[in-house]
Amino acid sequence: MATDSITQTRRGRSVEGKPKFAVAFTAFFMFILYVPIVVVVLFSFNSKKSLSVFGGFSTRWYQQFFHDEALLSSLRASLLIAFVAMLASIVLGTMLALALERVSSRPARITGTVALIPLVTPEIVTGVAALLFFAGLGMKLSLFTVILAEITFSISYVAVIVRGRLSSMSDDVEEAARDLGCTPFQALRLVTIPTILPALIAAGLLIFALVFDDFVLAFFTTGVDPQPLSVRIYSEIRMTISPAINAVGTCMLLVSVLLISLSLIVPRLLGRKDSSLDLISGG
Amino acid sequence: MSLQVEDAVVDLTTEKRRSPTRTRLWGALLAPPAIWMVVFFISSIAIVVLLSFGHVNDVGKAVFGFSLDNYKALADPVYLKVLLRSAMFAIATTVISLVLGYPVAYTIALHGGKYKNALVAFLVIPFFASYLIRMYAWSTLLADEGVVNQLIRDTGLSDGIRFLNTPGAVVAGLVYGSIVFMVLPIYASLERMDTALIEAGKDLYHSPLQTFFAVTVPATRAGMLGGVLLVFLPALGDFVAAQLLGGPSTYMIGNLIQQQFFEGHNQPLGSALTVVLMLALLVFMVFYLRATQRANRET
Repeated sequence: MATDSITQTRRGRSVEGKPKFAVAFTAFFMFILYVPIVVVVLFSFNSKKSLSVFGGFSTRWYQQFFHDEALLSSLRASLLIAFVAMLASIVLGTMLALALERVSSRPARITGTVALIPLVTPEIVTGVAALLFFAGLGMKLSLFTVILAEITFSISYVAVIVRGRLSSMSDDVEEAARDLGCTPFQALRLVTIPTILPALIAAGLLIFALVFDDFVLAFFTTGVDPQPLSVRIYSEIRMTISPAINAVGTCMLLVSVLLISLSLIVPRLLGRKDSSLDLISGG
Repeated sequence: MSLQVEDAVVDLTTEKRRSPTRTRLWGALLAPPAIWMVVFFISSIAIVVLLSFGHVNDVGKAVFGFSLDNYKALADPVYLKVLLRSAMFAIATTVISLVLGYPVAYTIALHGGKYKNALVAFLVIPFFASYLIRMYAWSTLLADEGVVNQLIRDTGLSDGIRFLNTPGAVVAGLVYGSIVFMVLPIYASLERMDTALIEAGKDLYHSPLQTFFAVTVPATRAGMLGGVLLVFLPALGDFVAAQLLGGPSTYMIGNLIQQQFFEGHNQPLGSALTVVLMLALLVFMVFYLRATQRANRET
């Protein structure tokens, strides 16, 4: 009832006096947000090798991308990194979230705080640290080192998302399972995990997109061949300007928009309101 | 197997036996991620701090040590200028994001009506694109031969304006890169705000503008602080915007760090720069936490 009256006053006010300036400003703001992206996508279909004059529709830059063996191996490398980092960080991050939600011991509290630090650390710091760590161990930089660095960074994300879901779930259900004769592990496997599954899927999709797109960490921890896609196009951007990069960029755009939209929709489809958007909007 | 059943039976009969088994499970769950974070995160940060006191030996290899030489080297005006510039860029980015982002959050939250969720989704989608691609997008747009300059030439206003390699382009890129992280927390706190407050404010104060500054702004302080944190932290450590939209005259601390590791081959100096960046962020975090505490006490 209370929310009803609030929406009503809001609707009432917006009818009587919508601040025209604020609305126009917001519309302009949204427009500016989309201009760069629309331009990238548009010029990826340019028949000319220009980024300012549109010559006509063509898919030549996509054909070039799909025949460029080096770019394709970078694409495969990025997909592999994102997939492995997703699986490992989902397992480790969920373990962390469960432990932090259910234990209040000192080591658990300290780990909980430490796990938040990567979220507020600029990526360049994490990148430098990972680079020096691998160099110190005498490890050769490769896709493997990128994966290790990305997992470290992703565990914190997963832990935050899954903890959010766990904290809204009472542990009575787990208790009930235990009373029915489950071992703690069985209760976890049969009750807790299925309940938080939508959150796990959402977190997994989000992590896949974040890692797939990530540039800074990959830049600091990658070897020479094959390089992740983002690192690869970074060096291309610095050398040439070509609509081929727009084509790669458009494909990356498509992958992330698809995955993140899915991560927002999946929990809703499965009947849960929690989604990864709540994480960024602080709700 | 039989042991598990026994455990379960014992658990059913005695309440006390339950907690040790459970604690063992949670302990077992905590150990792997905790060990991972200690090995890969804590110890690698420790290496950065240690190496910042080291030096490069005669054969060009970084070695540990106990000297402050790297930090003394950073006191050089060349470096100080870049450090100051980074701080200015990050502050400018934060202020501009706040000034531009607030009205957007306000309009969507209070005048979005039934389109509110759609508008938020519309706002967030561009940020799904990778940061690198978005910076690249800006650079093609603002390039000398880019779309914007082409439009300017077509209208005959001028022969084109040099946007790239200016501080303005870098700050614009940084704002474009993370302004959503300013809008969303403010939007969330406006959503939580009781709109009756505004109605009351209208009765108390003369103009809507007065009401806005006396009622709405203080009520959304937490959201603004959250946005400031989420925009300032990445902006201060960024190097992609300055690399793609700027040049050596607009380099930030992140570019210096990147140079020391990939071009200068002076890892100890690069580590010292990284430590300085971490310290700057730590100082910022202390002020930030104080400010949020104060905001919490007042509301």
